[in-house]
Amino acid sequence: MSLSGLVWVVGGAALVATGFLAAYLPARRRRARERAVAWSTARAAIDRAGVSRDAAQARVEEAERLLARAELIAADRGGVDAARAATDYARTADQLWRGA
Amino acid sequence: MAWGVIRSAALRWVLLGAAAVVMLVFLAAQRQTTEVSYGDSPTTASLRSSGEPDGVTVPSVEEMTALVAANPVVRLPGAIATWDEDRVRAAIGDADVRILVAPPGLDEEERDRVSEVDDATVRVIGTDVSGGLYGAVPDRLSGWRTQFATGDVTDLIVTIVAALRDEPSPDDVDPVRWREPTAAELAAVADDLRATRVHVAPGATLDRTPPDTAAFEDGLYAAFPRQPVDAAIPNYGPALAALFPDRPIIVMYGDWIEYHGPHQAEFAEIAGASFYAQFGDRLSRSAYPQDNVLHAYLSRVTEIRYAGIFDRALPYVPWDPLRVALPALPWIFAACVAGFLALSARELRPRPPRRRTTPAQLAGLAALAVEMSLLTDRAGDAPLTRGIAQLAAARKALSDGLPESHVRELLEDASRELDDAARSLPYEGLRPDDYLAERLA
Repeated sequence: MSLSGLVWVVGGAALVATGFLAAYLPARRRRARERAVAWSTARAAIDRAGVSRDAAQARVEEAERLLARAELIAADRGGVDAARAATDYARTADQLWRGA
Repeated sequence: MAWGVIRSAALRWVLLGAAAVVMLVFLAAQRQTTEVSYGDSPTTASLRSSGEPDGVTVPSVEEMTALVAANPVVRLPGAIATWDEDRVRAAIGDADVRILVAPPGLDEEERDRVSEVDDATVRVIGTDVSGGLYGAVPDRLSGWRTQFATGDVTDLIVTIVAALRDEPSPDDVDPVRWREPTAAELAAVADDLRATRVHVAPGATLDRTPPDTAAFEDGLYAAFPRQPVDAAIPNYGPALAALFPDRPIIVMYGDWIEYHGPHQAEFAEIAGASFYAQFGDRLSRSAYPQDNVLHAYLSRVTEIRYAGIFDRALPYVPWDPLRVALPALPWIFAACVAGFLALSARELRPRPPRRRTTPAQLAGLAALAVEMSLLTDRAGDAPLTRGIAQLAAARKALSDGLPESHVRELLEDASRELDDAARSLPYEGLRPDDYLAERLA
């Protein structure tokens, strides 16, 4: 194959590769950040719920079960959905303890 | 900075578009056909029949028969053929040969009328000679030259007569005599050629604008009327070729076309012979203007050149921007790709974080939490601790480089908890908003 033929092939491949990277890299970065944010939120919620539990006057069975489940999910380190679920459980538990 | 970012982003897409266009152009230029041709001439040599004078006519068959019965040689009005009477008389000898000469440019029906005159032994229409079952045409260039430049048909008549008498054809005699044109004659022609590239002598029927042709670049055209054969003919071709070296020169005498100039030796005879072999028959009967004859000749020359006979380089490959640009296209494409890659790499690099206000807020809230922890009572304990846990989460998010909005959310939660704690204390100025406003003041 001639040099100019090689230019077309290599250039075309480079364009395709660049297009793929241009779409893929920012998306991957965004997903990673969303996940980190979701887990940061979840951990903050779990910590808060832990403080509320220690401060609560009475034991609340259901709140403890919810918090345990949230911590279990957090220990497994899932994706964004897992983090949201853990956040929801922890917040509900927090509310229950504050109400107690 | 922002403008630069926008411009480089736009440039990136412009480069991508340019690369795509270049690639499309390149692909579109890759036409391949199964057709293989040695000649791809843009023209086809043909003799346009437009412009022939109307109203050329001959008398009725009876009238012509009567004329032929009365005279051995009958020249109808408008006849152009001439011949050497001594040679014709010698060829005829004592036979009864009657010659009917008709003008050129007759239509089919009138030609039929001429051929119905049975008593005419030899019929001449224009310079087309026939007799009995025979027709005579020249078989070499000098014969065509005599026929078309002067209208002399002696050789043809002599050949027909010999055939009719079952005698062997005598050798051809070229009656044309040439002379050098005088200085004045040459100067008149050369002046016209310099001014308009075309010289049309009185009596010639060529157009005064140079023909638009692919046959020659910058060709010079000199047209003269049919020449009388008994006088020496000024030979303009060589004289003009000496005057305009390296330029194609076309000289016409009547329907006769001569080429002079570059490649004359290899080229002129081929063009002339193939042209007159094909069109000589029609030209001899017709009265086309010189324009039509020249047009057909130039088309034939174009065909010959495109056919690439004799391996001669085409002198007039048409300028095609695509052909010129094609070798550069891969490199233009490569440059576009490289530019696009460079700009994309810049685009994909993580951007440096912008200035943030959350660290100051975090520091302020942390200081408030420390202050409150000294003053808090049991009721404020839980909110304060929750606030501190929330501050720890915000600090971790900040150090992990999580987005500003998320850190601010965590700080807002922390500040709400601290607000709860502050409200349970009997002291003024500990509520986060007040505290931060005071610290910032």
